[in-house]
Amino acid sequence: MKNKIIVFWLIVIIVAVCAFVGYKKPTKLGLDLVGGSRIMLEAKTTDTIQKITPEVMSRLQVAIENRVNKLGVSETTVTTVGDKRLLVEIPNVTDLKEAEAFLGKTALLEFKPPVLDKNGVQKRDEMGQPLWEPAEITGEDLNSAQIGTDQTGQWTVSLEFNGKGATKFAELTQKLVGKPMAIFFDGEEISAPNIREPIFGGRAEISGGASGFKYEEAEKMVNLLNAGALPVPSDIIEENTVGPTLGADSIEKSKFAGLLGVGLVMVFMILMYRLPGVIADISLVIYALILFALFKIIPVTLTLAGIAGFILSVGMAVDANVLIFERTKEELRAGRNLFTAISSGFDRAFTSIFDSNMTTILTCVILYFLGTSVVKGFALTLALGVMVSMFTAITVTRNFMHLVFGTGDLKYPVLFGLSKDEIGKGFDVQETKREKARFGILD
Amino acid sequence: MFKLFKDGLHVVKYRTLWLCLSALLLTPGIVAMIYSMINYPTHSPVKVGIDYTGGTIMQYGVQDDVKSSQVGKIRSELEADGVTGTYIQVLNVNPTTENNNIKSIISVRTKFIDEGSKDAETITNVVSKEYKNAELIQVSSVGPTLSSELFKKSFIALFIAILGIIIYVTIRFELKYAVTAIGGLLHDVLFVMGIFSILGLFYNVEVDGLFLTAMLTVIGYSVNDTIVTFDRIRENLRYYGKKMTFSEIVDQSVNQTITRSINTSLTTFLTLAALYFFGGVTTKDFVLAMMLGVIIGTYSSIFFCTMLVDLWEEKKQKKIEQQAA
Repeated sequence: MKNKIIVFWLIVIIVAVCAFVGYKKPTKLGLDLVGGSRIMLEAKTTDTIQKITPEVMSRLQVAIENRVNKLGVSETTVTTVGDKRLLVEIPNVTDLKEAEAFLGKTALLEFKPPVLDKNGVQKRDEMGQPLWEPAEITGEDLNSAQIGTDQTGQWTVSLEFNGKGATKFAELTQKLVGKPMAIFFDGEEISAPNIREPIFGGRAEISGGASGFKYEEAEKMVNLLNAGALPVPSDIIEENTVGPTLGADSIEKSKFAGLLGVGLVMVFMILMYRLPGVIADISLVIYALILFALFKIIPVTLTLAGIAGFILSVGMAVDANVLIFERTKEELRAGRNLFTAISSGFDRAFTSIFDSNMTTILTCVILYFLGTSVVKGFALTLALGVMVSMFTAITVTRNFMHLVFGTGDLKYPVLFGLSKDEIGKGFDVQETKREKARFGILD
Repeated sequence: MFKLFKDGLHVVKYRTLWLCLSALLLTPGIVAMIYSMINYPTHSPVKVGIDYTGGTIMQYGVQDDVKSSQVGKIRSELEADGVTGTYIQVLNVNPTTENNNIKSIISVRTKFIDEGSKDAETITNVVSKEYKNAELIQVSSVGPTLSSELFKKSFIALFIAILGIIIYVTIRFELKYAVTAIGGLLHDVLFVMGIFSILGLFYNVEVDGLFLTAMLTVIGYSVNDTIVTFDRIRENLRYYGKKMTFSEIVDQSVNQTITRSINTSLTTFLTLAALYFFGGVTTKDFVLAMMLGVIIGTYSSIFFCTMLVDLWEEKKQKKIEQQAA
């Protein structure tokens, strides 16, 4: 009995920790619940880049990240999936049109030479704004941009063009020594440095003029340049955008359905199994606490499918208890004393619980590795649920059962939903000598 | 409470009855699947959604009570604006304050809308013109490359799942149990797919990536249930193997586990039913597939799989007797 009490206090500690974690940490909700866009991009090869290497992918990722950040939405994420795909997630999109507009847009980086008159002076429009020729060099020609410093320690922006870009850049700069060249990002002029000398070899440096760049200025420019410098083009191959209305509605409905489902299961357990049913219900609450704490610690992003997995796992979590209680009832009917009936009920039910849960976990593992991200969420919550339920339904319930019922004979069979004359009339339970020793049966 | 017959259930004795019942349950679905495979352009046994065919679905919430008969107008207007081959469905939902009092959801399905295409705007314009306050609530788009990949992956997942279960059950039990558990699993999968095939033919219910998840869960659940019964047969064989015939042991084991089988299925079913009737619209078909799976899985683990195991054992015994004679 002593270690039963130790186990009891351990359970209390675990529950307290989980309740604390559950209370403190926020739940991560998926885009289908808060509203937002999930976009899958696939990199395409070009004539110059014929193989998508991890290096190309990481550059593409940086470029896409920069583009997405321009939206000004917090918590956007860009992750590489597989060899040549990027998953872009933009939460809390309040306007679906905004996300759509972003999708349709390919950020354009252009290097435009000036429009020159006969004297070689740049023409201006009526407002006095300088005029630029259509671009000859675009983001496709740029490899990357970095922040650097010049000899005097001023911040600079250095550009690196690819082979084709380098040739075009050399030609252009030869013609334009002493004249400006503008850099446009999505049609907006971000800089118009003067060309001091022809640049061969594809490496150029932009300095911030006499006053120099501030670090932030240089950084912003590098980001924009990299954003425009998509190393390879990419296609949208999958998109799912959920408006905030649908998301809010889904959360409300899932909450209600979840609470109702759990409530029905709890009532059912009490009706079927009486006092043990109450104990199973307490375990179920502990189960939900632990599982939610785990969701928050790992962290698992809860999606609609994930919630379905969780609710399904509640139905399955009591499965172990149903198995055990049915078995315990059988043992009681066969006339065993309480302690033995409970112990052997647990021990005998264990193999079925273990084997049946293993097959569920097996399918979850397959789903996790082969499924799409929606499916992954479902598989993860269900698998976690099944594993946690093995602990709560077996260790926790068993401990409580022993503590509540203690040893001795069953004085009130009605607590188990049995009637007095059922006792001793069950089928003949037979044990091997070893099992008898384990269950403490004395003949 | 669940004693169906006074002196217990006779699985083995009424074998033909259970076989006929299974045949009765499966036949309509199988007929529907064969019909679908011949008639659908995709040649699939069930109606497949954009996850497997590629395409774009745009859903709009409107505060009016839209009738299905009204969608023809939207379709013809879209055709006039150059968006052809659309498929439009109306879903009626309960208006609440959370969903901005939306009464109906109009979902427009088209071929995959590529970047830079104006089709999306055209559809939004047409729907907004027809219904004031139409709100774009969801856009799902799956490109053709991804859809064929998903299709392939689905089959691989199904295949690996079945293989994994055969291996696991063979290691923990015997090949006999593994093969019959798979028999039960195919029984259940065919039933659920059959029902969805019928739903596809009559109510245009489409199958998506989540359906596959539901099928795999049904597989896990079905085997889970069957294993509990088999575990009892295995245990009883140890104690009574010499006193009783295999058939008697099967019957006894089924009767000992039937309450448990029905009770756990009931608890799972209760939670699923709550999700089905009160949960989100998006997961409705997914939950329905699992509900059907739980019901048929319970039936097959009690009647179908146990009967198969007994049949297998009987054949084996006959062979042994023949060899002895």
